[in-house]
Amino acid sequence: MPELSYREAVRDALATAMRRDDEVFVMGEDIAEMGGSMGVTQGMLDEFGPERVRNTPISEMALVGAGIGAAMQGMRPVVEVMYEDFLTLACEQIVNQAAKHRYMSGGQVKVPLTVRTQGGAGWSPGAQHAQQLEAWFVHVPGLKVVFASTPADVRGLLYTSIYDDNPVVFFEHRTLYGIKEEVPDELEPIELGKARVHREGEDVTVVATGRLVHEALRAAEEAEGEGVSVEVVDPRTLQPLDEETLVASVKKTNRCVVAHEAVTRMGFGAEVAAVLQHQAFDWLDAPIERVGARFTPLPFAPVMEEWVVPHAADVLEAIRRTVGRNGH
Amino acid sequence: MATEIKLPRLGQGMESGTIVRWLKSEGEPVEKGEPLYELDTDKVTQEVEADASGVLLRIAVEEGEVEVGRTIALIGQEGESVPDEAPTPAPEEPAKPEAKRAAPAAQTLQQTVARSDGRGGGRIKASPLARRIARERGVELSSLQGTGPEGRIVAEDVERAAAGPAPAAAAPAPPSEAEVVPLTSLRRTIARRMTEAWQAPAFQISTSADMTRALAIRARLVERGDTPKPTISDLLTKVSAAALMRHREVNALYEGDAVRLLASADIGMAVATERGLLVPVIRGCERLTIPEIAAARADLVERARSGKLQQADLEGGSFTISNLGMYGVEQFVAVLNPPQAAILAVGAVQETPVARDGAVEIRPLMTMTLTCDHRSVDGATAADFLRTLKTFLEEPGLAL
Repeated sequence: MPELSYREAVRDALATAMRRDDEVFVMGEDIAEMGGSMGVTQGMLDEFGPERVRNTPISEMALVGAGIGAAMQGMRPVVEVMYEDFLTLACEQIVNQAAKHRYMSGGQVKVPLTVRTQGGAGWSPGAQHAQQLEAWFVHVPGLKVVFASTPADVRGLLYTSIYDDNPVVFFEHRTLYGIKEEVPDELEPIELGKARVHREGEDVTVVATGRLVHEALRAAEEAEGEGVSVEVVDPRTLQPLDEETLVASVKKTNRCVVAHEAVTRMGFGAEVAAVLQHQAFDWLDAPIERVGARFTPLPFAPVMEEWVVPHAADVLEAIRRTVGRNGH
Repeated sequence: MATEIKLPRLGQGMESGTIVRWLKSEGEPVEKGEPLYELDTDKVTQEVEADASGVLLRIAVEEGEVEVGRTIALIGQEGESVPDEAPTPAPEEPAKPEAKRAAPAAQTLQQTVARSDGRGGGRIKASPLARRIARERGVELSSLQGTGPEGRIVAEDVERAAAGPAPAAAAPAPPSEAEVVPLTSLRRTIARRMTEAWQAPAFQISTSADMTRALAIRARLVERGDTPKPTISDLLTKVSAAALMRHREVNALYEGDAVRLLASADIGMAVATERGLLVPVIRGCERLTIPEIAAARADLVERARSGKLQQADLEGGSFTISNLGMYGVEQFVAVLNPPQAAILAVGAVQETPVARDGAVEIRPLMTMTLTCDHRSVDGATAADFLRTLKTFLEEPGLAL
């Protein structure tokens, strides 16, 4: 099995789809000659040419809108929004147009658009270039939302998203582009709405997304040393959500920590906690703990940024609280 | 300055009480005399009134057992600051090492609350999983000590309680699950008092009374339409009172260095309730008519079964009657109800062949067994009393 970086895995998913189908093309700011601000589309211009690897003006609204139009005409565009912070500029197109056309046309129009974007802290980009806004889009009926945390996942999920007949907002994490993982020789699509159990455990389930999946795995290692067995589950798609896997896991462990880099308040973890308390109420032995960023704009200063966003230590603390006893 | 609300001593011998729930919450205004909280003492659950007006500033003990004299709440003016340090608890009796141990002087209110065992706001704090397991396995959550954060009862606590003692290693068949029922405060009281009673040098004597005339009187009263319907017990209570007035040594309390002969027949009657045995007292039975006794009895039994007895209903008896006749019991022995000197155990009225004037007749007989504390009552005294009682039952007119 080949080992791919997360960045290469994204590129491989795009290229594989583009080789297979002429309807698939990519569009975005600086994605052609420059290969994208994160280098994801490097070399693709050479293989697919400027018709299918298209640079756009700096207007997220126009870029996504053009993607919607192409999708409605039967193409399967993948548009790249350089930073997810800039999704706010395209919200009209994503929320009011892409998400609504299929419903409002009684199914006559489909919008098989994929909006790729990335974000995340850990490299001191300041308050406007590292937010985690995935929860905003989970709140909109008509959209699917994916947040991949590993190379294998990002490859299989992006490919599936491209071929999904609904608009998908596809989140990547800035600090994960370099991580590597063995992936199947042949690209294997991953069904949307299927969680991945990264590690099995008995005492507490950590439901984590994005970078926090890796932090949770580190915390689980530490907890193991303290005699606490931790199960780490990544839902991978936030919409649709694999409630079945999450509920089954919590019914087994009776305790749960939800963890993401986005701010805790109204974060995706709140939805997970609500689902779990409802479907696994009688199995819970402790309040569900939430781990997320503090409720503040991201600071520029590295030490402050580090303090604001959660790390393995925060997940470990939350794990300890759920299994806590008097005297701990 | 806020008023400290202390756990009152509501009856003789009351050392502690269990706060069941608060009827006011912190921050709520309270009028003096308004019901403030529910207290479970040895025998009854009752509402306790506020003894100050103002705002309930702090509930120091949310729930659970507290010794008499401990500060359980503060009532003061709105916005008044509440000291962190709890006032030194002032148990009413000075030299009580046990009470002292249980109440370290510098305990803060916060600690007191934390010690309330996961029972905050009148509700037992337990995880949903713990509640489910408790429900499935019949474990009473109120009997458990929570080991989770803030004293929360977690699944492990319930499982430990449900498991009870480890089952025998090589049990061949799955053991049928024994139910472990923790003692309620009433059950504990019964256990303590009965054990105490067992220390007394007690003896028993028995006799049977021909109930022909007593039954006729009762039938007459019922026929007359008295409500509540008088029972044989009511009649027995009445004639016992008359007999006790003639044998004051039996209507007495043994007090260690003295015997207190009581002037009035305050007769306790053993009442079986779902929660356990209760003995409410009908006072001055020697002065009451049978219908009056029947009314008092009906009221006390009703309140005993619905858990509405007050402490006062249970105190100060001079003599006790325990009647198991309605269960068909022919004869039994009752355990003393200290400090009372005697207790009467009464069986069922039964058609019995008896010899009368050289012939066998069928008569309704009732067997009574008197248990006496030999420290205050001798055998002959007891026999004398029992003979009077028998006579009165057989010739009720003599009790007049």
